[in-house]
Amino acid sequence: MIEINHVDKWYGPSFQALKDCTTSVTKGEVVVVCGPSGSGKSTLIKCVNALEPIQGGEIILDGIKVNDPKTDLPKLRSRVGMVFQHFELFPHLRIIDNLCLAQEKVLGRKHEEALAKGKKLLDRVGLTEHATKFPAQLSGGQQQRVAIARALAMDPIAMLFDEPTSALDPEMISEVLDVMVDLARDGMTMMVVTHEMGFANKVADRVIFMDRGEIVEDAKKTDFFGKPRSDRAQKFLSKILQH
Amino acid sequence: MGTGTYLDLLLAGLVVTVEVSLLAWIIALVTGSVVGVMRTLPSRTASAIGFAYVEFFRNMPLLVQLFLWFFVLPELLPKSAGLWLKQMPNAPFWTAAIGIGLFMSARVAVQLQAGIGSLPRGQKLAATALGLTTVQTYRYVLLPMAFRIILPPLTSEFLNTIKNSAVAITIGLLELTGEARSMQEFSFQVFEAFTAATVLYLLLNFVVVTAMRFLERRVAIPGYISGK
Ligand SMILES: Nc1ncnc2c1ncn2[C@@H]1O[C@H](COP(=O)(O)OP(=O)(O)OP(=O)(O)O)[C@@H](O)[C@H]1O
Ligand SMILES: [Mg+2]
Repeated sequence: MIEINHVDKWYGPSFQALKDCTTSVTKGEVVVVCGPSGSGKSTLIKCVNALEPIQGGEIILDGIKVNDPKTDLPKLRSRVGMVFQHFELFPHLRIIDNLCLAQEKVLGRKHEEALAKGKKLLDRVGLTEHATKFPAQLSGGQQQRVAIARALAMDPIAMLFDEPTSALDPEMISEVLDVMVDLARDGMTMMVVTHEMGFANKVADRVIFMDRGEIVEDAKKTDFFGKPRSDRAQKFLSKILQH
Repeated sequence: MGTGTYLDLLLAGLVVTVEVSLLAWIIALVTGSVVGVMRTLPSRTASAIGFAYVEFFRNMPLLVQLFLWFFVLPELLPKSAGLWLKQMPNAPFWTAAIGIGLFMSARVAVQLQAGIGSLPRGQKLAATALGLTTVQTYRYVLLPMAFRIILPPLTSEFLNTIKNSAVAITIGLLELTGEARSMQEFSFQVFEAFTAATVLYLLLNFVVVTAMRFLERRVAIPGYISGK
């Protein structure tokens, strides 16, 4: 589903953010990406839907080469859901309109159709009664659930998450993780940057560990938690599992 | 002449001031928005053009710009075009509206650029990730928020436009200040003429401020605290 082959990514002429990264995510697989701050996790998933261009290697999404100048990027992006650390709901639009905007403007759905879809997804994330509110009137956890629903409204073939719970107060983390666990069990293909090892333990198939722009470890969940092969991953794990 | 006629003259001047200011403001908003957006695009060419535009129109005195458009431009054009410009009916009016509009557009552009720049970077990313094109991203996501944020400074730019319209007197437009001056020449009642003009300017600005406050309240977003 997502193939990342020998990807090199530079920010400016002198800083290489990704070095020869190779991995893949098959259909229905859940892959967790972790690693220290600045290791390139966000950069890696932003490259998957071409929010960032790459300078070497290739990324293939459902058979379509992402870094091909001929690829219709808006169309490709509309097929991949993305959830951000800071939710990024559109503050001037009501919750339901946040869900409808791209359905109508990108997919060309009729308003009634988009509305029905939006309502169904709000129901799925348990926020039906908030449909006509504005984002600023919701808690962080609720906003993030809306953001997930907004991505799902596009009927994505895969979902990318960039630290979806790290801006949340502790008591709101689980309501978001629950939705994600649900999605994973439903068979959604997911690539999740997170330090929530509980989540990884529960639903991940594989764990990728990154450091300084490299994929240091790419292992089955049980192998990763059992005995990370690299020192760096071991150190990292012991640090985050302390809390 | 009686007081009635004087008031008529002043009111006629007020109408011209309102017309010139409104037209100039529309030009400033439209052009300024385009240039302001260009200054935020990743394309080097677009932002360079936007940069040059703003520096050109912002750094030259308005008076000089009006003289350029009114006296110099017709001489620079081919003869027939220049003649057509000079003989255009209402040439001072159109020159003032366009000249002041372009001058103010540079300021609108800078405000809008700042407004867009103040939005979280993730907004553009989120819109792009949903598949919106750049145009759609600006139209549906970035601009609605940016304009809300810059509404207060835009109000003062609108007021500046009205005040700047008085400069049009120098190219012969009989707007409010112009009528007050000519009245003074007929009647030697300097004090009365300019007091009346001042009151009319104040009234006009009051109307604008009130309307903008109303607009600000209309588009306010429930629960949203600006500056977040
Ligand atoms: N737009 C950018 N321009 C220049 N450098 C960047 C840019 N974005 C990221 N970087 C740099 O690239 C490196 C990787 O950044 P990235 O955001 O991918 O890290 P990360 O693993 O997601 O970190 P975090 O856990 O802090 O989110 C960092 O050193 C960062 O400073
Ligand atoms: Mg990151």
